[in-house]
Formats: sequence, C-alpha cells, structure tokens
Amino acid sequence: MPLRGYAAEAVNIGALYPTTGSMAQIGVGCVAAAKLAADMINEAGGIKSLGGAKLNLIISDVQSDTTVTRTETDRLITSNKLSAIHGCFASALTLIASEVCERAHVPIITGSSSDQLNKGRSYTFTPFARASQFAKAQLQMSKLVSDKPKVAVIFENTAFGTSTSNGLKELAPGEGVEIVMFEPYSAGFTDASPLINKVKASGANALFSVSYLNDLILIVRTVKQVGLNVAINGGSGGFVIPDFYKNVGKLAEGLQGVAHWNHDMDDNSQKVNAEYKKRTGDFLFEYAGGLVAQTYMLADALERAGSADPQKVRDALSALDVSSGFAAMAPGGKVKFGPDGKNIYGRPLGVQWQNGDLASVFPKEDARAPLMKS
Amino acid sequence: MLETVIQAVINGLLIGGIYALVSIGVTLIFGVVKIVNFAQGEFVMIGMYISFFLATQFGVDPLLSLFVSMPLLFVIGVLVQHFLIRRVLGPNDMPQIFLTFALSLLLLNLALMLFSANYRTVHTFYSDEALHINGLYIPVAKLIAFVVAMALSGALWVFLHTTDLGKAMRAAAQNPDVAVLMGINPNRVFAVAFGAALALAGAAGSLLMPFYSAYPFVGQVFVLMAFVAVVLGTLGNVIGALVASLMMGVAESLGIQFVGADSGLIVVFAMLLLTLAFKPNGLGGGRMR
Repeated sequence: MPLRGYAAEAVNIGALYPTTGSMAQIGVGCVAAAKLAADMINEAGGIKSLGGAKLNLIISDVQSDTTVTRTETDRLITSNKLSAIHGCFASALTLIASEVCERAHVPIITGSSSDQLNKGRSYTFTPFARASQFAKAQLQMSKLVSDKPKVAVIFENTAFGTSTSNGLKELAPGEGVEIVMFEPYSAGFTDASPLINKVKASGANALFSVSYLNDLILIVRTVKQVGLNVAINGGSGGFVIPDFYKNVGKLAEGLQGVAHWNHDMDDNSQKVNAEYKKRTGDFLFEYAGGLVAQTYMLADALERAGSADPQKVRDALSALDVSSGFAAMAPGGKVKFGPDGKNIYGRPLGVQWQNGDLASVFPKEDARAPLMKS
Repeated sequence: MLETVIQAVINGLLIGGIYALVSIGVTLIFGVVKIVNFAQGEFVMIGMYISFFLATQFGVDPLLSLFVSMPLLFVIGVLVQHFLIRRVLGPNDMPQIFLTFALSLLLLNLALMLFSANYRTVHTFYSDEALHINGLYIPVAKLIAFVVAMALSGALWVFLHTTDLGKAMRAAAQNPDVAVLMGINPNRVFAVAFGAALALAGAAGSLLMPFYSAYPFVGQVFVLMAFVAVVLGTLGNVIGALVASLMMGVAESLGIQFVGADSGLIVVFAMLLLTLAFKPNGLGGGRMR
C-alpha cells in the first residue's frame, strides 16, 4: 500500500477523438466512455505498481479532419509527457495518428478496423476484429437468412464505401455467396427509391448497404415502402449506434450488422454498459465499449511495466495476455497481441436490432440471443 | 421493364415536386428582386427544423406545421429583404452575392451550433406507408408532398396573374422603372416577393420532414438542384422552374435506374448542358411568366 498523503504522479493518457465535425456523433460518445473507464480505474485505486497513480486523460478534438489529426497528435505528444494514446475511431484519422505515434515512439491502442494499421507499425495495437474479418462475417451471416444467398451490395462511392465493398466482392466466391448487384451511389442523395428499384429488379434476397447514417435511413425506409422482402445488413459504424434506432424506429427491428464489441458479451460488459447508461442515457455502443476495454489493457500494461515511460508501456502492451477482467472484454474473451499488433484472438460479432437494443447473434459461440427472422 | 420505367418516372416526379418548391422560390426572387439568393437552401433547413421541433415538442404533424413554417418564413423573408437586401440593391451585383452567400454561411453555422450535426427525423404514421397499384408503389408521404407542392405552385401562379399585388410584381420584374412610374412601390413588391419565396422554402422543409432527415447541411442538397432547375427553366420564369424541376427529378431517377446509381446527376447536368447549347435562355424562352 502506498503511504496516505503521498500523491503518486498521475499517468498521462492521450485521447484523440473527433468531437466536432461530421464524425462528432460517435466521437462524443467515445470521450464519455474514455472518461468512464479512467474514473473506474482511478476509483479502484489507480495503477498500484506506480504507487496508486491515477490515469489523467488528456482529450483532444481532431475535428473529423486528417490534417487536424496530424497536428493535434503532434501537439499532444510534444506538449505532454504521455505514456500512451488511444483514438481516433475513424480509420482514416487513426492511420494518420498512428503514423505520428510511430515516429514519436508512443504506443497507440485503437478499435479502428483498417487492416493497414497492422502493416509496418510496432507502436500500434489493435485488440479488435479487422475490416477483412468484418466482410467475411457479413457474408457468412447472409447464409443464416437463406441457403442460397443472393446479395445486392450498394455502397457510397468514396474511399470508405469502395474499399469495404471491394472486400466483400473478393471474399464472396470463397464463402459461397452470390453477388447479384454491385452498385456505387453518390452519398447524400435526396431519394433512395430509384436505387431500391434497382435492388428489386436484381432479385436479391439480402442487401448489404455500405452507407453513412442519413443514406441508410432513407434506404431502410424505402425498402419498407416498396414492400421488398430483403434481409438488410448495415455493417458497422453509424449502423450500430443508438442514434440509428432513434432515427429509424421500429423499422430497424431485425436489421443485421457487424461489430467488434457488444454490451451483451459478458458480465463485465453489462456492468460497464449499465454505468454508461446511467451517465449518458444510451446503451454503450460498439466503439465506446471497446474503448473501455482498451483503457483497461493500458492499465494492465502500466501495472506490469511499473513505469510511465512510453517505451516500457509499449513493451508491456506487446506482452499483454489477458483472459479475464475488463481488459478481456472482447469477442471470445481473450486478448494477446501478435508481432503486427493484432489481437491473435480477435473476431467480429454479428449483431441484430431487437427491441431497440443490439443483440449479439453470430457466430454461434458468441450469440447471446437467437436470430430474429423477419 | 415497362413497369421499372414507369416506377422510375413516378419516383422522379415525386422528388421533382420538392425541387420545384425550392427552385420557384429562387426564380421568383431573381425575377422580381433581381438577385440570386444563395441562402435559399438554408431556409428550407429552417423550415425542417421548425417542423421537427413542433413535432417532437408539441406532437404537431409535420404537414400541419406548414401553417406555422410558411407564415414564419414569410415574415423572415420580409425582414431580410427590408433590413439586408434592400441596402445592397443597385447596379453592382457583388455586394448582393456576398450578402446572400454570407447569410447562407451564417445560418448554416448557427444551425450547427444550436442543433449540432446530428440527423433528426420525424416518424409519422404515414412515413413508411405506400400505395401499391399493379406492382407499382407510391410512397404516401411523398405523394402528399407532391400534391401540396403543386397546389402551392398553382396558387402562386394564380396570385401573380389575378391579384393587383401579383400583377405589380410581374410589372416590377419586367421593367422596374416603368413600374415605379405607374405608382408601384418597389420596396413593398420586393418584400412580398422575398417573403413568398421563403414561405415556399419553408413549405418545402415541412413537406420533406416526414420522409427526410433534418441536419444543418440539408439545404445544400436541394439548392444545387434548384439552381440547375432555375437556369434550365429560364431565370425568373416560375412555370419554367416548375417544369424543369419535374424534368430533372425524372432525369435523375432514370439515370440512376439505367446508367448507374452514382450517375443520376450526370444525366441531369447533361440535360442542362444540352439545353444551354441549343436554347441558351433556357426552356422558358427568357420570359417571366
């Protein structure tokens, strides 16, 4: 026990999230979760090997912008003595931040899914499923709905939509899934009817929509209006946040998606979820929940490193091997990093909107509720 | 095949009705006051937020909130004309362009500050319903929006052609100097024109609310189409803007159906370029109607 009255020096953790701009909706939730996680660790006595040192969260707004992300990451590292960083939720931003961290030799832990984050980096740690794994899971889920899935893939025609949909297209033959329509569209359309008209004509029985929130809302509503009987998989990101249900309402029921974290995984996840709900009123969504686990992984590394030095924290992170506690809140319940910084046990979850909440339904060993058939 | 074409035309006409409300507002202001209102889309956005808040706070159906958004935006229009636009009218276009553009930026950022960038939708009992006829479907919310939009456009046309004030407006549009000589007060006419144009934008906002999300940038989506329609249908020509808007809706829909889902606008702009090449004054032939 550290002596009472002796305040151990706090450990600085940088948190890079977009709390303004187009990605603010999710970014704000991330910050709330980051604070919750730090509070939980601090209230439980902080980092014991450092004399009960508290985690001191230094939050920075990266404004949903790649240029700002670069300067903010730089500024955060040079003007503070950081032990580690977490961020930025959007892969496009995290790729930049992790580059800066790499050069400054500060470890960064992230839930971003881009496979590129695992290439040529030794200070980047990704405890959750990768984008390529998500695509595979989505394809496998289409087989839950039909023995002979005929999938229509529609995607917004910028980097996000194109890369995700190309991943789906490449993996489809291997999974025995037929893609009957593969169509880019320009985001921010005024009317989804012509697009859904096309889906109808394609004879698809499953629809993968790689879309931003607003387009997805229109697509879901239009599918209902057309009376088209098609199983929709909305992927992750904006699809698995409480705001989606608030906007779409009952129509969201039964829609499927994929996530790297869900609040029904285990007792610990449910505990954190309850606490987050108390603070914000919403359930703990994918990225924010994963972020709580990430903070505990950092705490575990700090504990073992017995030092706030970023290099030592990095080394301790690379030796992380947990299978219980809050740090192990991940699908499968185990985290251990490979040489590329990827969790060797990492896998995605298939989720479904059920009664205004997200339930894990896939794969079998991670399912917490039966799949609802529409 | 035929069914798909008819369905695409229906979809296009329905969304074209909304484009029409926005573009008629733009063309009315241009025809009468002789300025381009770059902020027209932001007034659609204000109309949407009015309907959104009336619906979520007081349970008012977005369609009924038309009776609030239209008068309110009419008043805003009169005030904007009186306190802002009136001061920059003159031979030089630059101050007018800067003024309405600045107004657009101001309203946009104000909305971002007050309402955040979140998408907001209102769910009514008819939002997701559709009429199904012979394999075709017509979404109820859009059908209502289309009918009301056409009715409002018709009402504006009747107003311009049968009332003294409407005739004065057209007179001021044709020749402001002679209109003044005939005893027409241009300031009054301009204020009413601006008010009416904004009321139409407000109507567009309320009509959109049952099936589209409100967010600060929403006006930009519609104003682009409105500007194309205004040019296509001849600047200042109300009927031209109406017809052009419907044509654009159909062209966009057919383009998405038969060219590609990211090519809808290509068809629209191809139509614009062809029209300008062969009829440089637009389809309306260059007259205010």
